[in-house]
Amino acid sequence: MKVKKLTALVMAGAMMGTMAMSTMAFAEEAELPTLDTIVLGEDYTDLEATIKVLTHRTDIVDTVFAEYIASFNELYPGITVEYEAVTDYAEDIKIRLTTDDWGDICMIPTNLQKNELADEFISFGEKETLDTMYVMLNNFTYDGQVYGIPSTGNAQGVVYNKKVFEAAGITELPKTPDEFIAALQAIKDNTEAIPLYTNFAAGWTMGAWDAYVGGSATGDPDFMNYGLVHAENPFADNGEQTGPYAVYNVLYEAVAQGLIEDDPTTTDWEGCKGMINNGEIGCMVLGSWAVVQMQEAGPNAADIGYMPFPITVDGAQYAAAGPDYCYGINVNAETDNQIASLLYVKWLTEESGFSYDQGGLPICVGGEYPDVLSAFDGVTLVVDNPAKEGEEDLFGNINTDSEVGLNMDNTHVQMVLEEALQGGKTMEEIAAEWNEAWAEAQADYEVEVAPYEYQPMGAAAEDEAVEETSAAE
Amino acid sequence: MPGTTLGKQKKPFGQWLRTRKVQQWLVIIAFMTIPLILLVTFSYVPFAKMFEFSLYKMKRYDSKNNKFIGLENYLDVFSRDDCFNSLKLAGYYIVASFIQLAMALYFATILCFKVRGGSLFKGLIFFPYLISGIAIGFIFKFFYTRGFVFDTVLSWIGLNPESLPYWLKDTRINNASLAATSVWRYMGQNMVLFLGAMMSVDPTLYEACAIDGANSWAKFRYIMLPSIKSVILLNMILSISGSLSAFEPPYVITGGTFGTSTYFVMMNSLAHEKGKIGLAAAMAVVLMGLIFIVTIAQQVIMKVADEDWREERRNKKLAKARKKAEKEARA
Amino acid sequence: MTAKMKIGKIAWTIIKYASLLLMSFIAVVPVVSCVITALKTPEEYAQTNVMEMPQTFYLGNFKEAFVSANMLTAFMNSLIVLVVVLLLSVMFGAMLAYILNRFSFPGRGLVRNLFLFASLLPGIAMQVTTYKIMYNLGLINSIPGYIILLCGTDIISVTIFIQFFENLPNSLDESAIMDGCTYFGVFFKILLPLLKPAIVTVMILKGVGTYNEYYMANLYLQDKSRLVTMATSLYKFTGPLGNQYNLICAGVLITLTPALIVFILCQKQIYAGLAAGSVKG
Repeated sequence: MKVKKLTALVMAGAMMGTMAMSTMAFAEEAELPTLDTIVLGEDYTDLEATIKVLTHRTDIVDTVFAEYIASFNELYPGITVEYEAVTDYAEDIKIRLTTDDWGDICMIPTNLQKNELADEFISFGEKETLDTMYVMLNNFTYDGQVYGIPSTGNAQGVVYNKKVFEAAGITELPKTPDEFIAALQAIKDNTEAIPLYTNFAAGWTMGAWDAYVGGSATGDPDFMNYGLVHAENPFADNGEQTGPYAVYNVLYEAVAQGLIEDDPTTTDWEGCKGMINNGEIGCMVLGSWAVVQMQEAGPNAADIGYMPFPITVDGAQYAAAGPDYCYGINVNAETDNQIASLLYVKWLTEESGFSYDQGGLPICVGGEYPDVLSAFDGVTLVVDNPAKEGEEDLFGNINTDSEVGLNMDNTHVQMVLEEALQGGKTMEEIAAEWNEAWAEAQADYEVEVAPYEYQPMGAAAEDEAVEETSAAE
Repeated sequence: MPGTTLGKQKKPFGQWLRTRKVQQWLVIIAFMTIPLILLVTFSYVPFAKMFEFSLYKMKRYDSKNNKFIGLENYLDVFSRDDCFNSLKLAGYYIVASFIQLAMALYFATILCFKVRGGSLFKGLIFFPYLISGIAIGFIFKFFYTRGFVFDTVLSWIGLNPESLPYWLKDTRINNASLAATSVWRYMGQNMVLFLGAMMSVDPTLYEACAIDGANSWAKFRYIMLPSIKSVILLNMILSISGSLSAFEPPYVITGGTFGTSTYFVMMNSLAHEKGKIGLAAAMAVVLMGLIFIVTIAQQVIMKVADEDWREERRNKKLAKARKKAEKEARA
Repeated sequence: MTAKMKIGKIAWTIIKYASLLLMSFIAVVPVVSCVITALKTPEEYAQTNVMEMPQTFYLGNFKEAFVSANMLTAFMNSLIVLVVVLLLSVMFGAMLAYILNRFSFPGRGLVRNLFLFASLLPGIAMQVTTYKIMYNLGLINSIPGYIILLCGTDIISVTIFIQFFENLPNSLDESAIMDGCTYFGVFFKILLPLLKPAIVTVMILKGVGTYNEYYMANLYLQDKSRLVTMATSLYKFTGPLGNQYNLICAGVLITLTPALIVFILCQKQIYAGLAAGSVKG
């Protein structure tokens, strides 16, 4: 009797909850402009709206973004822009997106499936049209519509201190994993600096290692969205010091040979910026966005250099390039807010100079490349191709189901460090575990699996990339 | 529910009784409605929803891609080794909480007698209880950092800092380091609880004891200990369920790295980082079941241990019998 | 014999005080290290051992922490939340305990069990579903919403009040009723004043919990420029200020100060209150 009553009460409560949840307002289907049709400073200049932007950049929200708002308001005095910087962005945004009025513009979280994009965000326009204006739009394109515009782009490499490398007697930048480990050893032997600082405690900084397994490690633009999905044992050692295994093995070996900081559990993310600036750290594996921050953290900006990840595929070096967080506009917001948001995103992308100032790759076609990437001359930038039609969500599903979590969580990279440090599992064993989980997930989705050969970008593509770089200079 | 009862009550009784009954119901409804609504809204509705989640394969909340998979997540919880392995860490926290209780008992006993500066000691030992979890995270990350506070203090007493372990990295010691922070935080509070129970003992008992020439140990053994037996027992059992759901120390200090990931930390990471919300929800339900079992066991043990209860039961039986007799008489 | 006892007594005294001193030292060291670090200039912090005494009394860290983490607003918010939550939990808890203990009505056992069982629910695991409910009720980003949530998930106070009512003789209310007092009157005029010790207990347990609550405050009070609390103000230091420990320590100490002041002023009541909650398990 009691149990029955209890369940009845709980059920009633649950129903109340669901009913409340299903009464969510429908967004009005009004005609929205697209990014390509808007002319900044001419259209909608008397629009009045207040928009809220969620950002992960807690460090510059009161400075850089405040200036942006001021400049934007010169064109659009009626639009009030409010930023909210979220400390634990990656986690918080997932919870906030479950509701409708989280704000107007956010950085799209990475856990969305493509077919869900239209439920949360408005389209910026047709992919074909926007491709003539911006680059790197693949990640959040579905059904020919673009739902995310990159805030900036990153080339993946290694931040290093030139003076430390010099003092260690390293005359030529390492190009292979072995050379890199040797270089770290030289730093340890000849200088006081920490050869490789992992930033283990911050977590997300370890997750950054995933960014190298595609373009940087294979030179193959199809690897991430096709190769990984269809390859048999993609994490296994291929014996050529390329591919995902080589990336994680660099970390594993560096840790095992004592070439990292003394106690990873108490690393200090903000502190490391000053340390590398002062030559207390040899290098860190971080995207190009980090370079400017390292330069600005002390008096020795000129000492900070950026080099490609030390993997050579068929005699050539590659660097993965891709969008940073992308802007998305709330599909449930008021039409005026959506228009205002479109204006602001367009302004941020085209006028703010954000991408260049932060040392990122340009988002606008023909945009200027920052000086930081000068060491990347002769290095081919590899932007991932989109997945084949009908396979858009396959990588995400296998990645989640297998719990490998590439570009999603940090625990698998942290595990590599932990095992190496404790002399636990070998890198082969770790890779075998990932392969097993991966294969299981592949089987669940009935993916045909075959050995996969990397298809590094050919000579033609290389020329193009070089042209692009030189055009920028 | 109240309405029907009201209706029933209206007919046969006298006016005096009726107004009293109505009043009673008014009070019941007035006093119960808000707390009950709050309880259902913020505890049971979320719980029901969470149970629903546990039956789905769910990468993201409210996504059309979520798939109903029945009890598969539960099978997963029981078949994966990592879920229950992480429960082993609860052992550290259980041991720590028993040490905490023993220390609390020891210091409560000392402070129960006259001690110079007793209230100062009491205050200092109790004080960590007032610090927030997030502040504790900061304090102990700082405390345990290589060459920082703890290492320095140990070097004062002549230990070689080079030979000390890394408190948060060394898997032989790091779980103990984390569990120690919770001893630090809650020991003083436990002590105050015990002290309160000891003080509530009738002072004449001590006097009688003193006349008998009993020493301090005897006082402790025969007067204080029995008086706080049930409090100790309760705290021991509470500490088991608390330890099974240990979350805060690893969450704020190590983030669950280097083998410090307890059941709850793992669940948190599965839900928020790994995109396995359904599985995490199933883990939560399973753990709740476990805690429920522990709690039932606690009730049983407490009742067996509590002699008052036996008496109470006897009284209840008597009362019941009396009521029955009254009813029969009325009929 | 007596000499032996004397030696024993002396030894016991030594052990007693030594252990007390040691324990107090352990309790205090982590906090003292914070004080030391907070008083150092950034340069001094970088160059000296963490336990080395500061050369000067540098208060800049406190000032910077106070301003950058917006602690004045945080203090006001925490104060409002604390006062209202304590008031409401005491009222709701006592009211509920009153009817659960004094009246028998159909469903009483169920209600009582619902409350007891709720304490077993894994709160942190349910945050997402709770979030949706808070959203549907329009309670996100609002201090009243946060207060309602804290009261809604409050189980301790009910349990404590129920225990306490069991020790208050029924004859009290009955004689008052005979005198023509209403049930409301009995509760507010006669029982509530008698509940004082239990109220103190609830206020301490709930107060410490509320003042230090950071998980839900961080999630539901999103507009940190306006809705920061003392506990969440510390989040400021996990972000851009990173591991600048002299600032962090200053921040920690500032958030600690109000609690410390209340503790010193109300020591006796706090101990008594906690003890009252413990007597009957």
